[in-house]
Amino acid sequence: MAWLDLPRGYWNPVSETMPRERLRERQFEKLKVQLDHAYAGSRLWRERMDGAGCPPDTIRSLADFSERFPILTREEIITAEAVDPPYGTLPSVDPRLAVRHHQTSGTSGAQPVRTFDTARDWAWAADMWATGAYAMGVRPGDTALVAFGYGLFIGFWGLQYGLEKIGCRVIPTGSFDSEKRVRLLIEQECQVLACTPTYALRLALTAEEMGVDLAQSAVKVVIASGEPRPEATKHKIEAAFGAFCGDTAGMTEAATIFMFECAEEPGGCHVIETDYLEEVIDPETLQPCDYGQRGVRLMTSLGREGIQVFRYWSNDLVTKRPHSDCGCGRTWDLYEGGIQGRHDDMRKIRGVWFMPSMVEDVVRKFPEIDEFQCQLVNIEALDTLVVQIEPKPAVREKDYEPLRQRFAAEVKRQLSLTPRVELAAVGTLPRFEMKAKRFQDLTAAPEAVKK
Amino acid sequence: MSSKYARPELSAEEQKALERIYQDLLLLASSEVPSVSAAARAALAQVATALNGQGLKYELYSTNWT
Repeated sequence: MAWLDLPRGYWNPVSETMPRERLRERQFEKLKVQLDHAYAGSRLWRERMDGAGCPPDTIRSLADFSERFPILTREEIITAEAVDPPYGTLPSVDPRLAVRHHQTSGTSGAQPVRTFDTARDWAWAADMWATGAYAMGVRPGDTALVAFGYGLFIGFWGLQYGLEKIGCRVIPTGSFDSEKRVRLLIEQECQVLACTPTYALRLALTAEEMGVDLAQSAVKVVIASGEPRPEATKHKIEAAFGAFCGDTAGMTEAATIFMFECAEEPGGCHVIETDYLEEVIDPETLQPCDYGQRGVRLMTSLGREGIQVFRYWSNDLVTKRPHSDCGCGRTWDLYEGGIQGRHDDMRKIRGVWFMPSMVEDVVRKFPEIDEFQCQLVNIEALDTLVVQIEPKPAVREKDYEPLRQRFAAEVKRQLSLTPRVELAAVGTLPRFEMKAKRFQDLTAAPEAVKK
Repeated sequence: MSSKYARPELSAEEQKALERIYQDLLLLASSEVPSVSAAARAALAQVATALNGQGLKYELYSTNWT
């Protein structure tokens, strides 16, 4: 494939290939600096450390930290911020040192999480993005199109700065529609596209409708972020663009990314371990998971000075694998398949574990399907997975029913669940630019909502 | 350390220069000339990131200015 010729290399060779023993020492050195800073500057952190009996000078090792330091939840951040909005008791420096403010969308009904970055923090955040983009093969002189709304949500803001730092010509397409973005991608001969996986597929479909073959474009790297991305989706994006689709993930609470997929495509993402201490724990027992065991990731940032997080419950489901499973030479461990799903989206349906990303994995194998939605509904006292699929406009009506049946059979084969599959009219299901929401659990909802 | 790709490292002289620049910028970041302190703080953020990436000095320094 064309992307096999992508340039390879390290943005920070020393950090990325640091021997594991030295890496653990470095993590602990930085953790101590972070803890001292938080204790001195943040009321929230000082109270939490004192309350848990673990002020900084008592933390003896990384293992000691993991055993004794309390887990932080999103709700606790929101509560701390509510004390004295916008940032409450959380900040470790005076917010007047901030050079930018971001917040989560709050679309799930909860209060948004608000954060800020100092100039130092923001330079670090951009460097994390640069680390990931460089590993994917982005180089000085490349032209990059960033398909992102540039608002309060942090999204690809850091990538904009990371790409500039690498030395790319960056095209911000905040208010553009998909047709304009496709035109720009071609006119400007962009080598790099950054967007969510969902939106990459939307652009590919738009290009197809415009008669543009993106596989013949200059695009060599698609930087995908913002959603879990099943392998089938990656392959579909790579086929459509004739480019390498690299996965990344970040969060507002971190200001930037914490992992990225390198051009060797190891089937997962490297954790930026010099700048994050990542633990994977069993969500029921809260005990650490071994390599190969799925659990929830707890994040400790070793990067920021303004808003700090220690052992933050991310809700992301991940499986850690050793760095040696990748041939790139980085000594940073991997998350197999990136973020596999959200712990709060995980359901047991008739005894079978289910995550919405599993349905997406099936959908992306059907080129006739444009969009989908799934719901968990209680029908006649049985929890049932209902999947709505929307065929592409080119699919003939006589092919709808066979498509529905083939799709249902494939879901059953792959998920060991019998779904109820419904057909949606062309153009009726919601489209997304950021953070696609395709799953609803209606089993706990009132009858009126279910209907 | 064996690694798959080229692994350029700072020479001793470059490392010293990077650390010296950091100290110089830290000094200038408190200058009373607004444009100079602003430039120094912006540059300092970048140099601090470079030091961190090279596994060298690691500091959370902005509280110096409050």
